[in-house]
Amino acid sequence: MLFNSLAFLYAFLPITYLVFWRLTGKMPRYVWLAISGYVFYSFWNYKFCTLMLFSTTVSYLAGRGLLRWQEPGRRRLCVIVPVVMDLALLGFFKYGNFAVANLNEILPWLGSRATLPILNLVLPIGISFYTFHTITYIIDSYRGVITPTRNFVKFAAYVSLFSQLVAGPIVRFRQIEQDFERIDRADRTSDLHTGWSFFVIGMLEKVLIADTIAAVIDPALARYAELSTVSAWLCVLGFAYQVYFDFAGYSDMAVGLGYMFGFRLPQNFDSPYKATDIADLWRRWHISLSSFFRDYVYFPLGGSRGSRLLTARNLMITMVLVGLWHGANWLYVVFGAYQGLLLIVHRLIRARWERLPQWAQRSATFGLWLLGLAIFRASGFRMAGALLETMFTWHAGAAMVGASALVVTLALAALLAHWAPNTFEIRHRWSPSWVASFAVLFGICLFVLYGARPAPYIYFQF
Amino acid sequence: MGTSTGTEQGRRSVWQLGFVIPCLLAVMGLVDLGLRFMSIDPLTFRAWEALLRNRPPGAAFEPNRQYENARSYGDLAALGNLPALRQYRAERFTTDALGFRNPPRVLNEEVSAILAGDSFVVGSGVSDDETLSSRLGTLMGCVVYNAGSDAGRVIPDEILSVARRLTLRSRLVIRLYTDGAAVPVPPTRGEILAARLAARMPEAVRVAAGRLRGFLTVSPLQSLSGRAWKAVDNGSMLPNKYAASVVKATLVNGDPMLFQATQVDNFHRRRELSLGYWRWLRDDLKKSHFDLFVVLVPGKYEIYRPFLVNRQPLHPGTGDYLDRLERALRAMDIPVLNLTPFLSAEAARFLERGEYLYWLDDNHWNVRGTALAAAAIREHWPLAETVCTTTHSPAAQTP
Repeated sequence: MLFNSLAFLYAFLPITYLVFWRLTGKMPRYVWLAISGYVFYSFWNYKFCTLMLFSTTVSYLAGRGLLRWQEPGRRRLCVIVPVVMDLALLGFFKYGNFAVANLNEILPWLGSRATLPILNLVLPIGISFYTFHTITYIIDSYRGVITPTRNFVKFAAYVSLFSQLVAGPIVRFRQIEQDFERIDRADRTSDLHTGWSFFVIGMLEKVLIADTIAAVIDPALARYAELSTVSAWLCVLGFAYQVYFDFAGYSDMAVGLGYMFGFRLPQNFDSPYKATDIADLWRRWHISLSSFFRDYVYFPLGGSRGSRLLTARNLMITMVLVGLWHGANWLYVVFGAYQGLLLIVHRLIRARWERLPQWAQRSATFGLWLLGLAIFRASGFRMAGALLETMFTWHAGAAMVGASALVVTLALAALLAHWAPNTFEIRHRWSPSWVASFAVLFGICLFVLYGARPAPYIYFQF
Repeated sequence: MGTSTGTEQGRRSVWQLGFVIPCLLAVMGLVDLGLRFMSIDPLTFRAWEALLRNRPPGAAFEPNRQYENARSYGDLAALGNLPALRQYRAERFTTDALGFRNPPRVLNEEVSAILAGDSFVVGSGVSDDETLSSRLGTLMGCVVYNAGSDAGRVIPDEILSVARRLTLRSRLVIRLYTDGAAVPVPPTRGEILAARLAARMPEAVRVAAGRLRGFLTVSPLQSLSGRAWKAVDNGSMLPNKYAASVVKATLVNGDPMLFQATQVDNFHRRRELSLGYWRWLRDDLKKSHFDLFVVLVPGKYEIYRPFLVNRQPLHPGTGDYLDRLERALRAMDIPVLNLTPFLSAEAARFLERGEYLYWLDDNHWNVRGTALAAAAIREHWPLAETVCTTTHSPAAQTP
């Protein structure tokens, strides 16, 4: 079920909301949140609920083990077993076929005639997110950052919290532990308007901006060989704004839904297109993911404490893993390596970079990001190569259908992404005229959603 | 002063997104709900959508309805959002008390055969007197009951349920199977049970169930929004995302013709025969003392592919599905007529005059195609001499 679907807006949300606030006491609300999370998830594929329950149970038991045992050996086991299990689940469903396909390429080189069968696997939606939720819980428990909960239902409600379940933000237990603890004392009205404000803005970002851009660039990119240079740039620029407003829109809706239920979810996008360098961009882009890799991969590898070479190695490993997290595809590996390279180069030229005027820093950062997105958006290396070639050598090409609509939307998107405050910077206290404007725009979104199947979020595939 | 401040605060609390947006959702929901009580006829371009809405279980369409549209057009033009290629025509579509496309009086007459199948049986883009059953009735001088529905697959229980309400002169089921339709498989036990349950429901319950389903599943607001989308996604303002559902091809005489993309793909794929359904259908009808006569109808693409400019080459083992099915049915002793050779020859003949057997903007055969098919079936009519010679059906005379 998508946040931008009528089933969610007219059935799931009202029922979940009304029942939640009718219940009093912690336990009934935990139970209700857990049930609604599983119901929400089952709309994609109910069979995968067992997978989520399994991951939840293993992590919960590990947490109980960490509470109980103080011996280092047992504690290490309590971390290793669930993390390996989570990563094995992720690895099997997300990277299993990728590994098999690559092995099948390599085996003939090693003189083997055997080929491994490609499995008919469906990637369980949100697995990249909820396994990361449980991993952060286990590691933070081990490190003593949090005290593991004894309440299984509370933990299940955290893992399956529907607002963050399928595409994040990757909320760490410690970030909403307090909200869970005082769930019985939450005030329904205190953050209601803020919640709706986030939700409406997220919906507008998704439906009116991201989906409009997608409507023009997707068909054009499907025939990338026919693109002109101008169209290729428009498409890549369009994708940069599409992916931002799609995911930032989703994150804003998630945050808004969190507010409606008394949870303060962390910020996931901090105006990344205002970044002045690539490191700054990654601090602002998909913050919950980049901070996960920073805290659980980059720092344990040594971070920037070692030599330049070691730091470069750590950056490259981290960013390749970030790339690979997006999908089992060599293109994502290349995307990650490209980002790693940019970060390494940036560290080397930081002093000179900072002497550039701010507008130049921002423009150059955005330009470098665009090149990465050309790789990220491509369906294969051939497309990535062709797209980059078209962008940098002159091609007359055919006119793009919907170019006028695209240019207008891009202008609006650019204005919002590069200059306007983000949703965490605004006060969400709107004057009646603003409220009326939002209502009109939300009404348009609803009308649009009535006539078209809701477009899935880009990050759902990850 | 205090009152004024209170009013001001009240106004401010009303103008909050946490109040306005839920209200907006509620209003939109109420509008949707309200519109569901109204007829959707003005929002439809043909009878199909309008009369499917309140279809009771076991029926093809809403019973006892008449739908008229002076500017109906083809399903492919609608599917591909290609208004420039629409062929406008008048359509009159009448359903009987059982919810099938027949003149209401047919239930009081003696029926010589039941014609079952998909939209080619129902008749798409043709008026009541131009459907295959009407044409057959006219040619044969007997009443042929049109039991076509959107469910392409025929379940004997449904036929029996219809048959029980008819006065049968003979027990013949003509099963039309169209190339391009899904390969039929025997229904599951649940589906058979549902068909039996629907047949045993009291009439009032069936009608109420149909209305309830229509109320819950068909949203006029959705249709309106869909129309608005199509106006915007028109290929100039925004790319036409619907166009990929159809293939626009050009005939050797320069006329554009639309085909359903899936039908074209299917034609060029090797499809395996699945005879389980046919065996089951024959045996099940036999148990109820019905004879089965199968008519195989070629898809539009099969007929017109030879006359297309830049046609795709045909690979060995593709494009011969109906021929193989015909042979297999004969081997099973099921009487069968494959209309492909006849319609192909006729299509070539008429093309020279710039005339067609299928609509240019629709998947289905047109008035001429229907009439020719009726004539071909007439030639092979299994009961021609035994049951259709004595009386001349008044229904058949009715245009």
